[in-house]
Amino acid sequence: MDALILELKKEIIEVLNLEEITPEDIDENAPLFGEGLGLDSIDALELIVLMEKNYGIKLNNASEGRDIFKSVRIMAEYIEKHRTK
Amino acid sequence: MNIYIQAAAQISAQEPLSHAWFQHPLPLSERYVRSVEPDYKEYINPMEARRMGKILKRALATSLNVVRKTGINQPDAIITGTGLGCIENTEKFLTAMVRDKEMYLQPTYFMQSTHNTISSQIALHLKCNKYNTTYAQRGISFESSLLDAYMQFELEKIRTALVAGHDEMTPDYFVLLDKINYWKKGEVNEAILRKSDSVGAISGEASACFMLENKKSNLSVCELKGIDILYNPNQKRIKDALEELLGKHNLCIENIDVVMTGINGDKDNDAVYNELERNLFPSIPLAWYKHLVGESFTASGLAMFISAMALQEQVLPASYLYNGSSAIQGLKNILIYNHFQNKEHSFILLSSC
Amino acid sequence: MMSERILVTGMGIISGLGYGKQATLDALCSKHSGIGKMKYLQTIHNYYPVSEVPMSDAEMMDSLGISSQTIITRTPLLGIMALKEAFIEAHLDKKRPRRIAFINGTTVGGMEKSEQYYPDFQNTEAYIAAHDCGTSCEAIAEYFDGFDMITTISTACSSAANAIILGANLLKTGRVDVAIVGGTECLSKFHLNGFSTLMILDKEACKPFDAKRVGLNLGEGAAYLVLEKEQHAKQRGVQPICMLSGYANTCDAYHQTASSPDGQGAYLAMHNALENAHLHPHDIDYINAHGTGTQNNDLSEGTAIMRVFNDNIPPVSSTKSFTGHTTSAAGSVESIISILALLHNFIPANLNFNNPMPELSFCPVKDTLTKKMQHVLTNSFGFGGNDSACIFSKID
Repeated sequence: MDALILELKKEIIEVLNLEEITPEDIDENAPLFGEGLGLDSIDALELIVLMEKNYGIKLNNASEGRDIFKSVRIMAEYIEKHRTK
Repeated sequence: MNIYIQAAAQISAQEPLSHAWFQHPLPLSERYVRSVEPDYKEYINPMEARRMGKILKRALATSLNVVRKTGINQPDAIITGTGLGCIENTEKFLTAMVRDKEMYLQPTYFMQSTHNTISSQIALHLKCNKYNTTYAQRGISFESSLLDAYMQFELEKIRTALVAGHDEMTPDYFVLLDKINYWKKGEVNEAILRKSDSVGAISGEASACFMLENKKSNLSVCELKGIDILYNPNQKRIKDALEELLGKHNLCIENIDVVMTGINGDKDNDAVYNELERNLFPSIPLAWYKHLVGESFTASGLAMFISAMALQEQVLPASYLYNGSSAIQGLKNILIYNHFQNKEHSFILLSSC
Repeated sequence: MMSERILVTGMGIISGLGYGKQATLDALCSKHSGIGKMKYLQTIHNYYPVSEVPMSDAEMMDSLGISSQTIITRTPLLGIMALKEAFIEAHLDKKRPRRIAFINGTTVGGMEKSEQYYPDFQNTEAYIAAHDCGTSCEAIAEYFDGFDMITTISTACSSAANAIILGANLLKTGRVDVAIVGGTECLSKFHLNGFSTLMILDKEACKPFDAKRVGLNLGEGAAYLVLEKEQHAKQRGVQPICMLSGYANTCDAYHQTASSPDGQGAYLAMHNALENAHLHPHDIDYINAHGTGTQNNDLSEGTAIMRVFNDNIPPVSSTKSFTGHTTSAAGSVESIISILALLHNFIPANLNFNNPMPELSFCPVKDTLTKKMQHVLTNSFGFGGNDSACIFSKID
């Protein structure tokens, strides 16, 4: 799980172009949206693409992402359960 | 009705967000010239900047620069001209789409690729609900924006306007336009461009932003007296339109101190200016600027920046004079003449104030 | 002043409903939508319903007498087809006024060809110059010849509406005698994929203002209006169709792709258009909504409509349920549809509506409604919060 969390942090930084942020800066238990990292609805769409591209998990609409993207840890747990890649 | 340029900002091959370079511009000697980037941190925070391609950062920086200089943070109109739009992001999306066969595409690139992203980002930043639009008509994209603003001033719909022209040139798009002879082959320098004996110009990028207001203040750089855009005009149509514009201000062609032209070293492009000189401006000094900033769809925005500086500093240095004459002092009226492939013609009249 | 009124003296349209005003009218009255299975666009996402113009490029070129060797993309071809109809109706094919402006709205431009030849344009270099938006405008202008001024507006889904506004200002300042205004947009893989990544496309026919709505269907089309001052129309002896009585453009300034929850931009656009027209909300007989069918737009726009019209909300429908979302052409496509409704005294149905939105105090018109009208309002809201509204009125 730790390896997946680290991998996820790196992918999030890359795909969301968070230039000034390192994996160490991201608290895997902190909220990703609103407060915490302060991501927005476009970032959520980007994460949906990331889920499908890297892990083979297809979400059908943007609102499905809301619960999954609560934090990096929750995301990692969901991926662990549902990944097909 | 009077319209004043209260502040101007540019990002180009010359020193960005500055006019200190105006009297001593650096000559260009490459076929493909990119703008010099300023430090954007002063204008854009990293969480915003992460999504922005170069053109958006330049647009935001130049806009905020003129907003800060003037304190006008809710302009009545935000109008942008861009010939190619956000081509960097367009390419990113397109490249991925072709390479990955329409799978796993990133929405950010699409979202930031539409032409009106520029105007709307500025409005978003300023939280400005006023008039907002974008023009994309090739070489007169900037002039279209300026004309829109000008008419709204005339109709007394607005008192202030943020008007800009922005274009970027990616390495890949440069190669495409090279295939159809937009760019000079081989070595380039001022002397070569002056000869105008082959096709092609220097490829440049342009960001020029102006805050316009309908009243004079101690900030005022110069006055925008008029603008016109013509399509496929013959020489008579051009003459009539120009005389009409000048006539509104009790001026005639002889009152123009210098014509700032879009001469760029391309023989077909420059031939049009030569004919105009013969027919309309035989005894008026011609100036040029594309040897210093390159050619782009909205390069004329930089022409307006340079002309505004000349009127403010009351000198147009020899670097800009096409006929090889020495610097011109004591300028009252500058006519900026631009044409695109001899189809779209435009002129802008600026005066000292 | 009577002579200062801006009149519409010609209209031309092509869309998934067919070619011309009559085909459009027939489709609206018979509730025959142009949305269906993709036929022309080549994409792996061909499961999305779209509204395609039922003509290939070759068929259009043939119909227009354009040689098959001509380098021209689909966007301007649609434009020429639509403009031809408007040109003839406004008698511009006969005696040509001296100063005609042509203002075109487009975002796709030549992308539908560029994406096929990208990245090298091997043996297709002639299409490199056809890529940018402005080339489409030039291609249309070249076909008709004789325009004094041209330009292109590219503000996504409000482009054509903004073209109407610019045209009106060109007339009011006396710079031109006639302004031809509108937009043209063809489908492209680039834009279909773009909208798909934003997850705002419906895999079935769209359901504007329905509580269960999922997204929009893309459409293609072109539409132009010929505008001129009343005095000028009289001098030319051309029969006016209706009046452009008001318009406005504002910016939502909320988010790059989403509209604000309180619909501030939309509210201001409608409010300012009414002010510009010297009309009150209760004067409006019909609202042709932007109504894309997305969760976000319909809520935002619906909220704005309630804010402007309070307890007196006129009938509302979105004809994107017929034409799909024609993006840059939507402003003029839907203006012409609104004018047809105005002249023929009917309100087009908002197809596929079944479930009222709990947040709104109104429902769209489910079935074609007969109504004698005086003033109609049409909304066009673009990405980046570019919000425009136009009001057309019968001439008394």
